[in-house]
Amino acid sequence: MPPSLDVPAVAAAPSAVSTMLRGLFRRSEIALLISLLVVIAFFALASDTFFTTRNLANVLGQSALALTAGIGVAIVFISGEVDVSVGSIVAAVAIPLVTVMNATGSLALGMASALALGFVVGSFNGYLAAYLGINSLIVTLGTLFILRGGVYLYTGQTAIPDDVMLESFFQIGNGRLLGVIPYPALIAFALLVAFAYLMRHRPFGRQVYATGGNPEVARLAGYNVRRLKFTCFVISGLLATVAGIMLASRLGSAVHVAGLGFEFQVVAAVVLGGISLAGGRGSLLGMALGVLILSFLSNGLGMLDLATEWQLVITGGIIIAAVAFDELKRRRI
Amino acid sequence: MQPELAANRTTEIDPPLALRGISKRFPGVVALEAVDLVLARGKIHALMGENGAGKSTLIKIMAGVYGKDAGTIRIDGQYVTLRSPRDALAQGIKVVFQEIALIPEFTVAENIFLERHPVDRAGSIDWPRIRADAAALFARIGFPVDTKARTGDLPVSQQQMVEIARALAHEARIVVMDEPTSSLTPTEVELLFKVIRRLTGLGIAVVYVTHKLDEVFEIADEVTVLRDGRHISTRPIGEHTHDSLIQHMIGRRIENLFPRSRSHAKGAVTLAVKNLSTKAKLHDVSFEARAGEVLGFFGLMGAGRTELAKAIVGYDPISSGTIEVDGTPLKPHDTRTGVRLGIGLLTEDRKGEGLMLDLPVQQNMSLAALGSFSRGGFVDEASERTAVQSFVDRFRVRTPSLAQLIKNLSGGNQQKVLLARWLMRGLKVIVVDEPTRGIDVGAKSEIFALLDRLAGDGLAIVMMTSEMPELLGLADRIAVLAEGRMTAMFDRDQATQEAILNAAIA
Repeated sequence: MPPSLDVPAVAAAPSAVSTMLRGLFRRSEIALLISLLVVIAFFALASDTFFTTRNLANVLGQSALALTAGIGVAIVFISGEVDVSVGSIVAAVAIPLVTVMNATGSLALGMASALALGFVVGSFNGYLAAYLGINSLIVTLGTLFILRGGVYLYTGQTAIPDDVMLESFFQIGNGRLLGVIPYPALIAFALLVAFAYLMRHRPFGRQVYATGGNPEVARLAGYNVRRLKFTCFVISGLLATVAGIMLASRLGSAVHVAGLGFEFQVVAAVVLGGISLAGGRGSLLGMALGVLILSFLSNGLGMLDLATEWQLVITGGIIIAAVAFDELKRRRI
Repeated sequence: MQPELAANRTTEIDPPLALRGISKRFPGVVALEAVDLVLARGKIHALMGENGAGKSTLIKIMAGVYGKDAGTIRIDGQYVTLRSPRDALAQGIKVVFQEIALIPEFTVAENIFLERHPVDRAGSIDWPRIRADAAALFARIGFPVDTKARTGDLPVSQQQMVEIARALAHEARIVVMDEPTSSLTPTEVELLFKVIRRLTGLGIAVVYVTHKLDEVFEIADEVTVLRDGRHISTRPIGEHTHDSLIQHMIGRRIENLFPRSRSHAKGAVTLAVKNLSTKAKLHDVSFEARAGEVLGFFGLMGAGRTELAKAIVGYDPISSGTIEVDGTPLKPHDTRTGVRLGIGLLTEDRKGEGLMLDLPVQQNMSLAALGSFSRGGFVDEASERTAVQSFVDRFRVRTPSLAQLIKNLSGGNQQKVLLARWLMRGLKVIVVDEPTRGIDVGAKSEIFALLDRLAGDGLAIVMMTSEMPELLGLADRIAVLAEGRMTAMFDRDQATQEAILNAAIA
């Protein structure tokens, strides 16, 4: 079966028009897609420089980090847990990446050590949250602080430069397909398709949804709920690592302040994308649309010379409004 | 009957499920004592008994939720151990609980294959097959359900069908239905019965757990009655009459376990409820409760006891009728006025709605009366402690100190603290909902003595209960609820167990 971003578990038969309409109405992805198009259309009209290939491609490139990490965070949310540690993971994994590359001259070894650290952090979060049952918001908040502190201690509050300057490493964050589409956007898109397929069409994904939807029912159906949740945290740690590698490539070094506040950007996009904090609900497609809406919004507002302060206020307002709308709609139904 | 099963000689001799000598103990309680249950292929076996008789425990053992302490389980003559619900299902036993075990966000089709999603060769979920198989299963039980619908959008009656289809998907040969009609309309009940009969046509043995007599006479082939965790009788339904079944369910018990100290002197009408109805459950309930009396409400599961309790203290909305405390009307949701007028609820759900488990005894008890200890916006802790201590002494709450976390107290002592919470505030009417649920026998009589004394002190007590002995022991008058209606009102002296249960089953 070809990997598909198509979200419904059950495709509507042509005859069941009413079912399909009801499905569309309930699916927040449609509303998100319309919102995204409205945002793009608005800025295309309001600014001359917004709707250019170059700018649109740039926004895609910039959104790639949040998109990549957002997949993992979304999966953790769907399982009924929370992960806010990604901002520090992004910074922390750059250290083994750059230092190992500097020492060995090998991109592969550098990336392997970065992924190893991401795996360890994800496992740590997952073990405490899933197996010891400690509240995952607290656990990952703690991890967020610990890793950031560790990064500051290790680097002495400065950046570790990439001394070997491998072309392959440079290309990851800065290369463009056909000179247009940034590689990070391609990487993020490929991961999105793969994980959307995993969540929609593999038993693992459906078990994660079931676990978030009702852990007791999932347990009675014989799922290993703890292991499922643990795996979600590991996936999130690894995907945050991929985002960290792309960022390090773009920055050309391991920067101690990289990814500060990144976790909030990601969580905001995930929530805007219709993924419930309660678990069991939402889709990766919705998350991706949430990331794109926030990215285009921030880019467009910047082009209108609106101060960053106002961008923050507007973004915050939109997130609250979107989630409130979703909640009220659900109550009506 | 499937040919391969017919070829297997043992299935014709051995019952599909035979439970022998099943015993189960919980701390302080014997839930089941040497209970037998033997099913027959294609037959409907009703399991009856009052609340607390052991029905739920028995079916949870069949479902693999609980382990047994003693006894044997045989399926088609083979001894088995049921370690989990998944295990039980793999062995062919499916229990459809009242609390339906489905994922609301999933489609009907996906829920049927929750245990194991069918996959194609590449390991991808085979959605077309899931949909087709689901539709085929519904065709087999003769009840079409939209397999693409989101399960949470369906009424309970259809969710039950999803559970039944799930049983067939696993080729279950024993299906247990736990009080399946408690939230169904009469039409839905008819449809359910059709489906159940269809199951028997497929050779499935059905266990039908209920307390509704007319349903048993309509659908069951055989009836097993449990009482106080013991097996009382198993008979073909044809050998039972209405009265004989009730007789088996209640038996002859010692009455007046809780001798009263009070005379029957009653004061003025304190609580007057007229024509009360709610959207969900209650229809046209009217009664009065007087100062100094205990008015008991009896009802079986689903009769509307808790709904009534919450409605008359103003917690839940009502659709029509009036509630008056000392002549002043009480509006729904207006718990402030409720507290001011002096009506309070001792909830059946102590952990969910009553206690703050991680706070000490003192804070738990003084919660409702904090206003009376405050001076200039601050709580005067000395006077709070004095008041709490006086209640701890009066009610003999066994706690090492006032600072002890309430979760460390026994159920009986927790209940005393909650009772004290309301009385500290000053009450005229207290509604107690299943006051002895989860409380051991010794503490029960203490709670009764306490309620008895409070009535003696002039409080009007409205008690919701499903336990006959506590009703007969404590109540001055007994009202009976069935399906949200009041079906009888007895004075203490006229009430018999038979009459009460008859009214409750009506």
